[in-house]
Amino acid sequence: MNKLFVALLLAGTLVSGCYAADQSNSVPPPKIKVGDMAPDFTLQDQNGHKVSLHEFRGKKNVALAFYIFAFTGG
Amino acid sequence: MQAFQQNLAKLEAADTQVLGVSMDSPFSNKAWAQQLGVTFPLLSDWGGDTTKTYGLYDPEYKAARRVNYLIDKNGKVVEMQLDDDAIDPTKVVVACQAQKLNR
Repeated sequence: MNKLFVALLLAGTLVSGCYAADQSNSVPPPKIKVGDMAPDFTLQDQNGHKVSLHEFRGKKNVALAFYIFAFTGG
Repeated sequence: MQAFQQNLAKLEAADTQVLGVSMDSPFSNKAWAQQLGVTFPLLSDWGGDTTKTYGLYDPEYKAARRVNYLIDKNGKVVEMQLDDDAIDPTKVVVACQAQKLNR
């Protein structure tokens, strides 16, 4: 009985240890979420033109797609 | 980005401007846009200031995470897709079509 208890305790510690390690490696949640105002930016596009988020205010919705690197999937 | 290009007509019909953002240089974005046939702006967040402002910087990859935002005409975020969920932008397409209906 005691052995079983120790084994279970050890297994539990291992599992939670792995979980904690996984958590520490993951990046924090995004700062900007649904309901927040989108921070303005001015960035250069692929043709050398500057594009600002505020240009579209009152005119269009903006689908803003952050991607990891060029030449990756998605 | 190809998925957004494929949905571009639907998004434009729903008054939506598509903008891609990454920490690549404008030069690699230009080459990639040409390869994929992407016609919307791919913005270069060289240095990552915008990526960090949005809290999307991944220090392990030294790059942005994959995230789609739908921002309405008032500048407010109304829909969001994160990481693997952001590969298929259907949720954003549907949400912007709903925005148009709600006006």
